[in-house]
Amino acid sequence: MSKSQFTAIQTNSTARGFCLTSAFWMVIATLAGLTAATELIAPDISGNVSWLVFGRVRPIHVNLVLFGFVTPGLLAAAFYFLPRLLRTELYSEKLGIAAVALWNVAIAAGIIALAAGHSQGREYAELIWPVDVLLVITFALLFWNLIMTVRRRQEPILYVSVWYACAAVILTGVTYCLGNVVWKPDSGALVGIPDAILLWFYGHNIFGLLLTPLSIAVAYYVIPTAIRRPLYSHTLSLIGFWSLLVVYSHIGTHHLLQVPVPTWLKVVAIVDSIAMVIPVMVFLINIWYTAKGSLGEVHADIGAKFVFTGTIMYFVVSIQGSIMALPQVQRVTHFNNWVVGHAHVGVLGFAGMIALGGLYFILPRITGKPLYSRFLADLQYWFVFLGTIGFTTVLTIVGLIQGNAWLNGEMIYRVLPELQIYYIMRAAVGLTVFVSALIGLYNIVRTLYFNPGEAA
Amino acid sequence: MYSPYFLTYMLAGFILSVLVFLWALHAGQFRDQKRARFLPLDDGAEGPPVVVSRMNRIQGYVILGLACAGLLAMAITLGYSILTAR
Repeated sequence: MSKSQFTAIQTNSTARGFCLTSAFWMVIATLAGLTAATELIAPDISGNVSWLVFGRVRPIHVNLVLFGFVTPGLLAAAFYFLPRLLRTELYSEKLGIAAVALWNVAIAAGIIALAAGHSQGREYAELIWPVDVLLVITFALLFWNLIMTVRRRQEPILYVSVWYACAAVILTGVTYCLGNVVWKPDSGALVGIPDAILLWFYGHNIFGLLLTPLSIAVAYYVIPTAIRRPLYSHTLSLIGFWSLLVVYSHIGTHHLLQVPVPTWLKVVAIVDSIAMVIPVMVFLINIWYTAKGSLGEVHADIGAKFVFTGTIMYFVVSIQGSIMALPQVQRVTHFNNWVVGHAHVGVLGFAGMIALGGLYFILPRITGKPLYSRFLADLQYWFVFLGTIGFTTVLTIVGLIQGNAWLNGEMIYRVLPELQIYYIMRAAVGLTVFVSALIGLYNIVRTLYFNPGEAA
Repeated sequence: MYSPYFLTYMLAGFILSVLVFLWALHAGQFRDQKRARFLPLDDGAEGPPVVVSRMNRIQGYVILGLACAGLLAMAITLGYSILTAR
């Protein structure tokens, strides 16, 4: 198949569907986050409206960010670049569209259920059993589509992005089943300590085996393509892939160092958390050496600019994460807003930035026209960037105040007033990110459907 | 007693990973790595032309500088906080 023929037959319906899904749910996700942040300043603001109380809005925010905004954004890019890297067409665009539809039904159903008070009550695993089943089926459909595309490939070598994308989808499908204890529909949980171990195995792997590999896959595609330079080392990238699989899957127990789980499991979790420096630095050295001398080109392409910033955030969040796994450090940083700040660097600063970068990188390529507004995309970039820095700074300070107060035996009524000003700043930062989501949705919808720009 | 289930899962994951790795080895996925580096550049998907300006380069350095400053600030505050915590 010639290059021009190959390009002509791509409809990219699945990628378009995931683009819209990500842009839409980012608005609702950040609105839920802003609402929750506001309730931390004024707890009575939602009155007696049950579906607006903090305990329901917070899981809505978390699940929508993970499964509504970031994952579909990364999948959009994956469904664009996978057929291209394999020199074939997607196995089935119809199957892809069915998966997009099912994904949105599952997310909408999950959010309605959470708002109505139906939750499994386990962090990151709040979605109820029927929604879990829908999501697992969707992961299966996505994997089938990807793996069949791989089978039909005309390029014998699997580029590293293909490895990462396929692994992310299948591993998360399996981990999701386990973490949500789908064989127990009534509770969605085990009992006692085994449940805590299983939950954090799953909880951390949503980041480690879903968002991280998908983000890395997108970065490995976007950066070389944007600057028109080959990857620094493909061998190094494969070493990073296999070491990530070996190391990342057992670190969840570092969330449970204060809990009576077996000591050997804690040791494994801590050692592997520190060992995460290997796959992280392998990836970063590889991608930064690829971009070396081309920072201007990286920042000239708005998609690559988002992605490159995401890699810097990955550096920050990974170094932070490795250090935070040490028991001595956790004395200060655990059970407080430090961890929330860490999560915001990871999910918004790293995976979210790369998801948005992936979207902005593929949009001109799938529409054949320039973005509706490069200015609006830049504006969104700076809002998200400053939002990430704002969240990190504010939540880190709050976390240190809380951690030290706890260690020093301070009373909660003396500490809470100290935090008020930071919670106000946090809500202000949240407003910035919400506005950026609105800008992004407008720009993406205009680019896809109402773009007056001339075809390239 | 959940250990047998956990161990079974870990073993299954380990065996599957080894099988995929062996397939990759057998299928020549680790050969011709030099050509693999170029795969994203030859995918037939040309984007719009990009115009590089001096401002683009400056932005890159500003972001890198901010990241380094942030990491340094975080390391100092964390170190201070741990050392002073009773």
